[in-house]
Amino acid sequence: MGSALPLPLQLIWLIPVYGFSGMLLSLPWATGWVKRNGPRPAAYLNLLVTLLAVLHGSWVINTIYQIGPQHLDFPWFQSGDLNLRIGFDLSLTNLAALELVTTMSLVCQVYALGYLDKEWSLARFYALVGFFEGAMSGVVLSSNLFMSYFLLEMLTLSTYLLVGFWYAQPLVVTAARDAFLTKRVGDVLLLMGVVALSAFAGSMEFNDLYAWAADLKESAVLGPTAITLLGLGLIAGPMGKCAQFPMHLWLDEAMEGPNPASILRNSVVVTCGAIVLMKLMPIVQLSSLATDVLLAVGTISAIGGALVALAQVDLKRAFSYATTSYLGLVFIAIALQKPGLALLLLFAHGLARALQFMGVGSIIATSNCQDLTELGGIGTRMPATSLAFIIGSAGVVGLLPLGSFWCFGLLVNNFQQSDPWFAVVFLLTNLLSAVNVTRVYRSIFLGQPLPKTKRAPEVNWLMALPMVSLSVIVLLLPAIMQRLDPVPGIASFPLSVGLVVAASGAIGVLIGSLVPLNQFWSRSTTPWIRVIQDLLAYDFYTPEIYQRTVVSLVANLAQFTRWFDLNVIKGLADGVGRLSLATADGLKLSVSGQLQSYVLTVLLAIVLLLGVLQVGRGG
Amino acid sequence: MLLSSLLLIPFLGTAALLLWPGKPAPGQMRLITIVILVLQLLASLLVTLRFDPAQAGMQLQEFHVWLPGIGLDYALGVDGLSLPLVLINAALTLVSAVITRDIDKRPRIYFAMLVLISGAVNGAFLAENLLLFFLFYELELIPLWLLISVWGGANKAYAATKFLIFTAISGMLILGAFLGLALLTGSVDFSLTPVLSDRLAMGGQIVLLGALLVGFGIKIPLVPLHNWLPDAHTQASTPVSVLLAGVLLKLGTYGLLRFGLQLFPEAWAKLAPGLAIWAAISVLYGSLAAIAQTDMKRMVAFSSVGHMGYVLLAAAANTPVSLLGAVFQMVSHGLISALLFLLVGIVYRKTGTRDLKVLHGLLNPEKGLPLTGSMMIVAVMASAGLPGMAGFISEFLVFRGSIAQFPVATLLSMVGSGLTAVYFLLLVNRAFFGRLSITPSSDDPRNDARLDVQLAVVSPRETIPAMALVAGVVGLGLLPMSLSRLSDASLTAMALQAMGVS
Repeated sequence: MGSALPLPLQLIWLIPVYGFSGMLLSLPWATGWVKRNGPRPAAYLNLLVTLLAVLHGSWVINTIYQIGPQHLDFPWFQSGDLNLRIGFDLSLTNLAALELVTTMSLVCQVYALGYLDKEWSLARFYALVGFFEGAMSGVVLSSNLFMSYFLLEMLTLSTYLLVGFWYAQPLVVTAARDAFLTKRVGDVLLLMGVVALSAFAGSMEFNDLYAWAADLKESAVLGPTAITLLGLGLIAGPMGKCAQFPMHLWLDEAMEGPNPASILRNSVVVTCGAIVLMKLMPIVQLSSLATDVLLAVGTISAIGGALVALAQVDLKRAFSYATTSYLGLVFIAIALQKPGLALLLLFAHGLARALQFMGVGSIIATSNCQDLTELGGIGTRMPATSLAFIIGSAGVVGLLPLGSFWCFGLLVNNFQQSDPWFAVVFLLTNLLSAVNVTRVYRSIFLGQPLPKTKRAPEVNWLMALPMVSLSVIVLLLPAIMQRLDPVPGIASFPLSVGLVVAASGAIGVLIGSLVPLNQFWSRSTTPWIRVIQDLLAYDFYTPEIYQRTVVSLVANLAQFTRWFDLNVIKGLADGVGRLSLATADGLKLSVSGQLQSYVLTVLLAIVLLLGVLQVGRGG
Repeated sequence: MLLSSLLLIPFLGTAALLLWPGKPAPGQMRLITIVILVLQLLASLLVTLRFDPAQAGMQLQEFHVWLPGIGLDYALGVDGLSLPLVLINAALTLVSAVITRDIDKRPRIYFAMLVLISGAVNGAFLAENLLLFFLFYELELIPLWLLISVWGGANKAYAATKFLIFTAISGMLILGAFLGLALLTGSVDFSLTPVLSDRLAMGGQIVLLGALLVGFGIKIPLVPLHNWLPDAHTQASTPVSVLLAGVLLKLGTYGLLRFGLQLFPEAWAKLAPGLAIWAAISVLYGSLAAIAQTDMKRMVAFSSVGHMGYVLLAAAANTPVSLLGAVFQMVSHGLISALLFLLVGIVYRKTGTRDLKVLHGLLNPEKGLPLTGSMMIVAVMASAGLPGMAGFISEFLVFRGSIAQFPVATLLSMVGSGLTAVYFLLLVNRAFFGRLSITPSSDDPRNDARLDVQLAVVSPRETIPAMALVAGVVGLGLLPMSLSRLSDASLTAMALQAMGVS
C-alpha cells in the first residue's frame, strides 16, 4: 500500500525516531565522553530533531487534509498465529495530538535551556526528554494495542528517569520509585489485558479489536467474568498514566523532578494515557462494571483532586492535583462515549496547564522557592510571568471564552439531559479549580513582597520566549479547536448553558478572592474543620493507606518467604546433609569385613530395585 | 565434522592449557583462553550460517556407533532449540574469560576448567543420544565444583559441597530415568524417539518423567529444589556466576524441553496443569524471596529462580508461541543475568561489599560508578520486562502462548513479573541513587554524609563485555526476529508433534 502514498507519509515511522535519535545524539555529552564546550550541543541537537518532528508532522497534516485518513504498517515480529506490527493511524485527531506532543516538547526544550541553565547534566536531561518525546509521539499515532503498550511502558521508564533526574536527593529517590511502581502496577494489569486480547482476539490492530468486540456479544467466546476482568485490566494502565485515584500519588511526588519535565508530564503525558484509554473504550464498554468503575474513578478524581489541590501549600503540587482532577473529567467523558469532547478537553487542558506550569517554573527559577506561604507581590516585577499565569489559568477554568470554557459548555450541554449528575460534577470541578487558581494567584502575585520575593527580576529570554509563544497559542486555541471539530462547532450549546458554566467559574473566582489566604494553610481551631483540612492536605492519607496495605502485604510476604527459605528449605537441605554425615559415621562402625554380609546387602538391593521397576512397567 | 569442532576446540584447548610448557603468567594463560574461546565462538557462528532455519528437524548431524552394547552412540545434531543455546554458551564463556581478573592461584587449572565446562555444555546441547547427553551433563559438574571450591568466597566449601550433592542427585535421577527407559521398554534405544503408549504404559511414563522433572528441576532450579543456587552464587567468583546463571542453568530447561516434553509427550500433557502451577509458585517464590534479600548477589540469584519459572510455564503450555517464548526467555535470561552478575561483581570489587544497607549513591558521576550504574539500570529494567529490551518480548511470548491454556498460572506469573520491578527498583534506589556513601546508615548525620569515597575507574576489560551484553539485550529486544528466525520452524514442529500425539 505504501508505494502510492506521498513521501512524508511513507516516512511516518521517522516521527518517533526523531525523539529517540535525540537521545542517542545526546549520549556523547551525557556520558561525559565529550567535555569540551559544555553540554549545550546536546541540547541544540535535540532541539533540531524535535523541530524536524514538528515540521514533518505539519507536512503530514497538510497531506492528510488533502487525501483523507491513512493507515500504514510495517511487520515487526511474526510467529505462528502471532503477528506484531508497527502501525500508524494517520487521522486528523491523531495528528493533532502528535503536533501537541511535538510542539510542547519543542517549547519545553527551549524553556529548559533557560531553566536548567547551570545544570551540569543538561545533556542527560535532553537525552531523557528525547526518549520521552519519541515514546509519546509513537503512542498517539499507534494503530495497534501492542505498539501502544510497548511505548506506554517506555514512557513509564522515562518518567522514572526524569523524576529521578536529581537522584542524589532523598525525596527524589522515593518519588521516582513511587512513580515507577504505581505506573508499573497499572502497566502489569494492562499487560494482562493485552496478552489476553492478543490470545483471544488474534489481531492487535484496534480496528480488528473493535470488530471482535462487536461480535463478542453473539459469539460468547469469553464469559462475563472474563470480560469484566479484561475491561478492568485495560483501564488500569491509563488510570496509572493519568494519575487517577487511587493511583494518583505519583504525579504529586513527581513534582520533585525538574520543572520542564513537569510541564510535559502534566500536559502531554497524561494526554497520552487518556488517548490510549479512548482507543480501548469500545472494548472496555463490553463490561458495564468496568464502565462504572471508570465513571467512579473519574468522579472521585475530579472532585477529590480539586479539593486536595486547595489544601496544598506547595506551588507545583497545587497544580499537579488539579491535573488529576481534569483528567478525571476526561475519564468521565470517555466513559460516557464522548471521545471527541474528551479529546477537545485534553487539548484545551494540556496547553493551558503547560502554560500554567511554565509560569510556576519561572517563579521557582527566580525565587528558588515553591512554598506558597513564602511567596507574594511578584505581579508587578514579573509581568510576562504574571500574564502567562493569568492566561494559562483562564484557559483551564471555564469562565472567559478560552479553551476550557467551550469544552465545559459542550460537555454540560451533552450531559444535562442524559446524565445530569455528571454535568454537576463538571460544574463543581470548574468551581473548585477556579477557587484554586484564584487563591494561588493571590498568594504569589498580589500582596506585599516577602523576603524571598524582594528581588524578583523577570526570567531570561530563553524562558520568556516559549512562555509568551504558548500564551498566544492558548489565546488562539478556540479557533484551533473550531478547526479540529468543525461539525457541529465548539459553540453549539445554548446561551443558558454558557451562562451556567461562566457562573460556576465566577463563583469560584469570587470565593477564591474573598477567603482569607491563610485559611488555606493555617490549621483551624474548630476540630471538624481541622479533620477535613488534614484529610485534604495529606491527600486523603493515600500514602499512609498504601503503606499499611499493599506495601506491608508485599513486605510481609517477602519476609515470610525469606524466613521459610532459611528455616524450612535450607534447614531441610542442611538436615539431610547432617543426617547423611551422621549415618556415615554410624555405618563406619558396622563395617565388619565379612564378605558374605556385603554380598547379601548387594543382592537385597538388586532384588528390591528390580521389584520396583517391575511394578513400574506393569503400571 | 562442524559440530564435532564445537567439542574439539574446547577439549583440545583444555589439554593445551594443561600441558602448555613452562610457567606462563596468568595474563598469558588468559590470552590463550580467549583465543580458544574466540575460535569456539567463530565455529558456533559458522554453524549458525550453515544452519537452515526453514528446516524443522536436527541438522548437520553426525553419527558414529560408539558402544552399541549399551546403546551409546556418538550422535550430534543441532536444531532451533539448541542452536541459540550453543551461541549463548560461546558468547558468555568468552565474557567470563575476559572479565576474569588476574588470578594468583593456579591460573592454569582455572582457565582449563572454564574451557572444559564450555565444551561439556556444547556437548550436552548437541547430543542426540541420551547417554551421550548424560556424559556431558556430568562432565561439566566437577570443573564447576572446582571453580567454586578453589576460587570461591569465604564460605566456599559449604556452597561447593552443597552444589555437588544437589547436582549429583540431579544426575542420578536423570541417569536413572534413562536407564529405566531402557529397562521398561526392553531395548537399548537411546535415540531421541518419543516414548508413546504403544511402547510404554502411562504409569511407567509418568514415573520416568517425574524423575526427569525432579532431576532437571534441581538444575533449573525450581522451588523447592533451588537451595543450592543462592549459596553457590554468593560464594562463586563473578566470572563463575556469569557462567552459572547464563549458561549452566539452561542445561536444566533445555533438558526439560528436549527429554521431558519431546521424549514423553503424552505423560507431559497429563502433568502439564500441575507443572503450570509449579511454575507459578516458583516465579512468585523467587520474586518474593528476592525482595527480602539485602545481598545484591543473592537478590539476583533469587531473581533467576523466578525467571526460570517462566520457562517451565511455557513448556507446560506447549504451544508454538510459548515454546518460542521459552527459547527467548532462556536466551534473554542468559544475557540479562550474566550482565547483572557482571555489574554486581564490579560493584563488589570496587567497594568491597554487596550489602544494600551499606551502599548508597553509586551513580555519583565523579566519585562513584556512573557507567556501571547506568548499565545496571538498563539491566534491571530489562529483567523487569520493560519493552525495547530482551526481557519484554520473551515474557510477552511466554504469557501470550500460555494464557489460553493456563490462565490462572499465567496471570500469577505476570504478578511475579510485576514483583521483579519491586526488588530491582529497591536495588537501584538503595545502592545507586541517593548520596554517595559506603557506610551503614546511622543516626549520626555527620557519619552518614561522609563524602570521602572515591571509587577507582572501572577498567575496559569489564566495561566492554558489559556494554556488549547491553547491546545484545537491547538488540534482541528491538529485533526479536533475529532469534525467532532460527528457532521458529523447529519449535512449531515440536509443539505440533507433542500436540498431535496427546
